[in-house]
Amino acid sequence: MSAYILHLAILGGIYIILAISLNLIIGYAGQVSLGHAAFFGIGAYVSALTSLVWHFPFPLAALSAVVFSGGCGLLLGLPTLRLKEDYLAIVTLGFGVIVDLVFLNLEITGGPDGLAGIAPPRILGLSFRAPGMFLLLVLLLVLFTLTLTYRLVNSYHGRALRAIRDHEVTAQVMGINTPAYKVAIFTLAAALAGMAGSLYAHYITFINPESFGLHTSILILCMVVLGGMGSIAGAVVGALALTVLPEMLRQFKAYQDLVYGGLLVTLLIWRPEGLLGKGKLSLKFISRE
Amino acid sequence: MFLQQLLNGLTAGAVYALIALGYTMIYGILGLINFAQGEIYMFGAFVAVLLLGAGVNFFLAFAGGMGAAALLGVVLERVAFRPLRGSHPLVPLISAIGASIFLQSLALLLFGPNDRPFPIQFTFSTITIAGLPLSSLQGAILLAALGFMALLVVFVRYTRYGKAIVACALDRDTARLMGVNVDRMVALTFLIGSALSGAAGIMMAIYYNATYPRMGLLPGLKAFSAAILGGVGSIPGAILGGLLLGVAESLGAAYVSSGYKDAIAFAILILVLLLRPQGILKGRGD
Repeated sequence: MSAYILHLAILGGIYIILAISLNLIIGYAGQVSLGHAAFFGIGAYVSALTSLVWHFPFPLAALSAVVFSGGCGLLLGLPTLRLKEDYLAIVTLGFGVIVDLVFLNLEITGGPDGLAGIAPPRILGLSFRAPGMFLLLVLLLVLFTLTLTYRLVNSYHGRALRAIRDHEVTAQVMGINTPAYKVAIFTLAAALAGMAGSLYAHYITFINPESFGLHTSILILCMVVLGGMGSIAGAVVGALALTVLPEMLRQFKAYQDLVYGGLLVTLLIWRPEGLLGKGKLSLKFISRE
Repeated sequence: MFLQQLLNGLTAGAVYALIALGYTMIYGILGLINFAQGEIYMFGAFVAVLLLGAGVNFFLAFAGGMGAAALLGVVLERVAFRPLRGSHPLVPLISAIGASIFLQSLALLLFGPNDRPFPIQFTFSTITIAGLPLSSLQGAILLAALGFMALLVVFVRYTRYGKAIVACALDRDTARLMGVNVDRMVALTFLIGSALSGAAGIMMAIYYNATYPRMGLLPGLKAFSAAILGGVGSIPGAILGGLLLGVAESLGAAYVSSGYKDAIAFAILILVLLLRPQGILKGRGD
């Protein structure tokens, strides 16, 4: 049983990184990405392939995953982020479909069968094969992500981003280079998702396109909206809640997507700020103002 | 071979154009994307198939499917869009995504994951016109789709309600001052757009002889790409964009790679956004 809890904790950690990175795009830059799982998948495949084909050590494989998915984010963000927010949603959704097709059709990615036998991480001779050790690695990277995003959103750049989210034209008038900011944050979020993908690939040691489809993108989106857009603590709570709850409600698995869809609509109508309010930890949701 | 692919493309394109009209009209009047458009398309097809299975006459079932799709569109507007009007544009967008997932999984629970064949088998002949083999099914779909489009254009150009919708799309506040009931026009736009998507769904269900819960996902996305390609907010643009996209997809699948058929629409979308974001016929996209 404790092994099972460890497993959930590791997955929860990976989802926290994903939710925080998507929250940067949605909650701070005010854009919607529906293809976040594609960057997660790109990270997983790049990391798996570099370690399987070229026998890269884990840190190098993870780094190439981060760089490659960040690069894809940059290439996708450049043409679309100059436009209105709706376009990004559709383009990222389409990007998710294209990436899925590429994973399915390429020979090197193993098609629908995916890739197996990915080595567990080993850093400087230290093996992270044991779940306890792996959890430690995940926690370190979660801590890194948290520190990075916390420092970022509370800096000059974070305030610029929130200004863009709240009123893009005003932000522009104040001299903020809005397209550059949006592209930069999108690239950073894609890179972080790639890091999560690398962790996932080396933890599960077997990947196939199924784990990185639209369903996963929607799940991450639900985590962000549930926890509260624009709240780091919210993203953490949302990610943990949606990792643990489905496990507890296994017998209702068929209704999972139905609940996620309904949850998105009702949350946005009744409590658009999510469980935890705007940007800071608040317990208002208990008293229901 | 080339002409055959061209015809296949035009048929699929005419259906994309019908869905794209829904996107473009709703975008024109509210400035937001109805992500659940693909699910409305699926719903129309399912209702028609169920009605036919219950022994209803084909034309009544077709009208029933369109009516059910229109009703769903209006309900959706009331539940998922109207309460959120005036909030950050992100909010209705995510709410529509939620509605789309909800409807898709509801259909999965109600109808199961398997394909349903179309209940009636039509016997279609192939006519050869000037050496070009034209299946009468394709001909019927093309004609019906073009007929619906012509009706829509006439409605928007020449009727009071159509002009009121255009007025709302141009400037909602001014239209309200002129005595137009904006809420009712928004509902009417959803009604018309959804009915057209429902009709598209039924036609595709006949064409591919399959109805399934996720059938709306890709046509919905492709139709959106078509709306952008033609210039979002422009009715002729949606029609032109749909037909062009259908042809490009069909030719691309035949001459480039069939494995990536579904990726062609998105590649075109990204190219259009890069090179000409306002679309071929200038829409309201900026």
